[in-house]
Amino acid sequence: MRFVFRMVLRELRASWRRLLFFFMCVAVGVGTVVALRSTIQSVALAMASETRALTAADVNIESEQPWSEAALAIINDTLAEEPEVERTASVEMTTMARPEDESMAVARVVELRGVEAAFPFYGTFVLDGGHEYRHDYLSGGGALVRPELLAQLGVAVGDNIVIGQAAFEIRGVILQEPGGQLGAFSFGPRVLIDRADLISAGLLGRGVRAERQFLVRVPEERIETLVTRLRDRLGEEFIRVRSYRNTEDRVARNLSRAENYLSLVGFVIVMLGGIGVWSVTRVFVQQRIRSVAILKCLGATNGQVLAIYVTQVLVLGLLGSMLGVALAGGLLAFLPASLSESVTMPVGMAELSYRLTISAVVQGVGVGMFVSLLFALGPLLEVSTTKPLSLLRWGMVPATNWDWRQIAVVVALVVGLITLASWQAASWEAGLWVCGGFAVVAFVLHLAGQAFTRVIQYVGGRVRFPVQYAVLNLARPGNQTRVILLAVGLGSFLIIGIHSVQANLVNAFALEVREDSPDMFLIDIQQNQADGVIAFLSERLDSAPTLLPVLRARVTGVTGQQTTITSVAGVRRRGVGREYTVTYRDRLQANERVVEGEFWEGRLSNQGEVFEVSVEESVRDRLQLMIGDLLRFDILGREISATVSSVRAVDWDDSRSGGFMFLFRPGVLEDAPHTFISFIQGPTESVTRATLQRDLVDRFPNVSAIDGLEILRTFRRILDYATVAISAVGGIAFFSGGLILAGSVAMTKYQRLYETAILKTLGATSRSIALMLAVEYCALGAVAGLIGSLGALGLTWGLTKFLLDINWVPVPSANLAGFAFTLFAVGVLGVTANLDVLWAKPLRMLRGD
Amino acid sequence: MIKLRNVSKTVTSGSENLTIVQPLDLAVEAGDYVSIVGPSGSGKSTLLGLIAGLDLPTTGEICIDGVEITILDEDELAELRGRKIGFVFQFFHLVPSLTAFENVSIPLEIVGVKGANARAATLLAEVGLEGRAHHYPSQLSGGEQQRVAIARALANEPPILLADEPTGNLDSASGRQIVDLVHRAQRSRGTTVILVTHDVELAASADYTLRMRDGKAEREESKDSVGEGV
Repeated sequence: MRFVFRMVLRELRASWRRLLFFFMCVAVGVGTVVALRSTIQSVALAMASETRALTAADVNIESEQPWSEAALAIINDTLAEEPEVERTASVEMTTMARPEDESMAVARVVELRGVEAAFPFYGTFVLDGGHEYRHDYLSGGGALVRPELLAQLGVAVGDNIVIGQAAFEIRGVILQEPGGQLGAFSFGPRVLIDRADLISAGLLGRGVRAERQFLVRVPEERIETLVTRLRDRLGEEFIRVRSYRNTEDRVARNLSRAENYLSLVGFVIVMLGGIGVWSVTRVFVQQRIRSVAILKCLGATNGQVLAIYVTQVLVLGLLGSMLGVALAGGLLAFLPASLSESVTMPVGMAELSYRLTISAVVQGVGVGMFVSLLFALGPLLEVSTTKPLSLLRWGMVPATNWDWRQIAVVVALVVGLITLASWQAASWEAGLWVCGGFAVVAFVLHLAGQAFTRVIQYVGGRVRFPVQYAVLNLARPGNQTRVILLAVGLGSFLIIGIHSVQANLVNAFALEVREDSPDMFLIDIQQNQADGVIAFLSERLDSAPTLLPVLRARVTGVTGQQTTITSVAGVRRRGVGREYTVTYRDRLQANERVVEGEFWEGRLSNQGEVFEVSVEESVRDRLQLMIGDLLRFDILGREISATVSSVRAVDWDDSRSGGFMFLFRPGVLEDAPHTFISFIQGPTESVTRATLQRDLVDRFPNVSAIDGLEILRTFRRILDYATVAISAVGGIAFFSGGLILAGSVAMTKYQRLYETAILKTLGATSRSIALMLAVEYCALGAVAGLIGSLGALGLTWGLTKFLLDINWVPVPSANLAGFAFTLFAVGVLGVTANLDVLWAKPLRMLRGD
Repeated sequence: MIKLRNVSKTVTSGSENLTIVQPLDLAVEAGDYVSIVGPSGSGKSTLLGLIAGLDLPTTGEICIDGVEITILDEDELAELRGRKIGFVFQFFHLVPSLTAFENVSIPLEIVGVKGANARAATLLAEVGLEGRAHHYPSQLSGGEQQRVAIARALANEPPILLADEPTGNLDSASGRQIVDLVHRAQRSRGTTVILVTHDVELAASADYTLRMRDGKAEREESKDSVGEGV
């Protein structure tokens, strides 16, 4: 072993510069894994200690419908059984707010929450100016608001805003709020008022979407019992009961899932690093074959020689991993504070600091060393097959055929990678998919590389000298053309692909706001307001709006030919347990067509007829419905049964007429209390648009006018974030490709210097050699860019068609820009890395100095 | 000491079989100094490689100190070389990433000899390179590299020293130094020496000569008889 360690130190001393790229490749991959995992784990760590601040209570009881008498009785009785209990009620809803000042023509959608004096049981509010939260801020018509609302409405603390039929004085600004929802999509900024004021403002009309909550505090040991009892007793009511631990579990699950998927992203980078390791090791081993033969000739056994090189790989893997950890640490230390605040502030968490976590570091180092060894094994096999006889007759030792060791290495590589990917994703299925996808991409790129080298060999003989030599250089053994194509091609594929997908998404969304598309959605129009709203809008807009009657309904059971479901729990298991907005009409809309059964004609003529419902295709699939099956619904507490008479396909991209999962035949629901919604095309001019919203809210305080253009802007912002994030991954992949390219140049530098010296001796000028280099690397960049572009086209097509279900539109600008950038980047990097080849004096090289 | 019985070597060249060494019997006693001469391609180096266990014969058996080496596996052969055989090549074959001193230490370290450093220093002094111990092969002349190679070959005091044209790549002065070193080793340590050479003077200094032609070996006793036709 002493001999092995001494040799490792000597070898590293001699070749660490050439192996620099080995540990750079490892470092980039490990750095990505460690940084991503540490970030998520930092969030998880902070959240674990703050979960109660997220729920503001030990147990939350929530309902989207007004509490029924029966449900209230159960809740009261169950809580009365608890020896020690506190409770408070709260209501959350989406509504409109506007300044009281009539001259300000603006109104905005807000997320309104009405709370009582006991709120919150856990967590603390942080108010602007360091004021301490007290319920007094809300009592008697006070409101606390998020700072965004002040800017949106142009108001300040002390001003009044109108919500519903009441005015509220802004008494403070909320910076942190307990009981918020992490990452939940919100239509607008938070406004906090007293619950009693919310009710008296007349906002809780029939059919209005609002979440009623009871927040409960009980001793820790009673939480599970209470939750179980409430769930058992409220089983058939549409009421959710959850403890803060459920939230903790859900958040932990989501974070763990995010961590695993992000780690897969890291894994892809690690794989690219692995390819770099493989490429560097291969060239390194080729350059060491003579030394290996000498050692064997001097009496070193296969095991000893292999141990020397495997130990080197492990040492380099460890050093690379440690460098990766340091890179990740540096990155996390410089993460902007605003990123941390964007996560923590809205949900009332304390300040979050991102730091390296031990688990992420251990995983990163493990992954780095494992990948180093795995990818180096193949090239290292050459060490064990090297014969000492080669010292006597170089080149005459017959090449050994595939033996069991090579097969074992390939099997180890495949099994190792799948295991690694599955470990990182915490799912065998995901691991297999990622490895399979990677194998397919690698295979395609490999084939493309092979075809490319064949073509250039053919073309090489037909062009003038510098170009001929350059293209033949690409086909030269040891030039790593295919490896570079794989890594750089993959990087450009990811970057171009994701930008094309983004462009397609924006394009698809923009279609929805084309000239004839609605861009404003009115909700919660009460029955007695319908005529007034139509009259108001007809006056302000070019055409009279259509109001769609809607009710809120839940499926409670199915009696069918294939499916019979008798409980709410059974419905939930099929994924249709949520509350649906349903409507009734006697005709199909332009965006609908019947795919099964027959659509009714006219309304139900008499009370004896069976109620009919038409379902959307996905509902049929989830419940395995057949025409004639009976569905049971709970509509505002009343049970209604209806026969499925048709199945509809809905074009969700065309929202002019809306889309409904359940559509009833008229004649049943008209008498039930319901509200109306309307899709309108608002004025394009922004002041007129704001005035319309403002006046509408003035006249009909409980009606919310959600601005589609605002949502579009939010959507674009989220899409931009996602694109930046994924582009960063593509950028790292591209960087890995650059590393492999630079590594390849460094490893084959001597050969190139030697050949250039011969060419210079034979009369080649520096200019023609520079031309050779430029042609060689630009050709490489062009092919990598072309492969990336074509792959990106395929990716965009597949994603838009099968996953996003939107129209595919090629984005030539992204493809062209990506192609040009790849060509340019590879060309510049390749030529720059070879500058000393241009300047080297031939005599020195030829004398072997 | 070294016994070859019916040893031959045939290789496949394209679709044809080419016999490089015709069936040969040979016995070399301990302390013998044998030279192998012959034109290029006559099978000299192949024969040396077979004796060193670097290659397997097509027929026959080779015994070293009573051990039949043709049945040993790669690792057993490597161990045998480490203990019993020193090898000197025409092109030196020093490990380029190691200093002269480290190159000499390697055989000692492979078999785990204690005091390897002192021994390596002594050997380098013996070949007159104590002042070049920490130079890399690329910083040494051809003659110096070959002296390092001889020191390395003698590091484990092997009973057998095999040399493949040790002076073939050197000027005459350096070649003479190498010949002296080989002679000194044979005389002072009783090392059995088999060397392949084109050098008439070097071949003539051997106890006897094996002349090879077209794979056949012919023993010539007289030291003065070699030289012609080589």
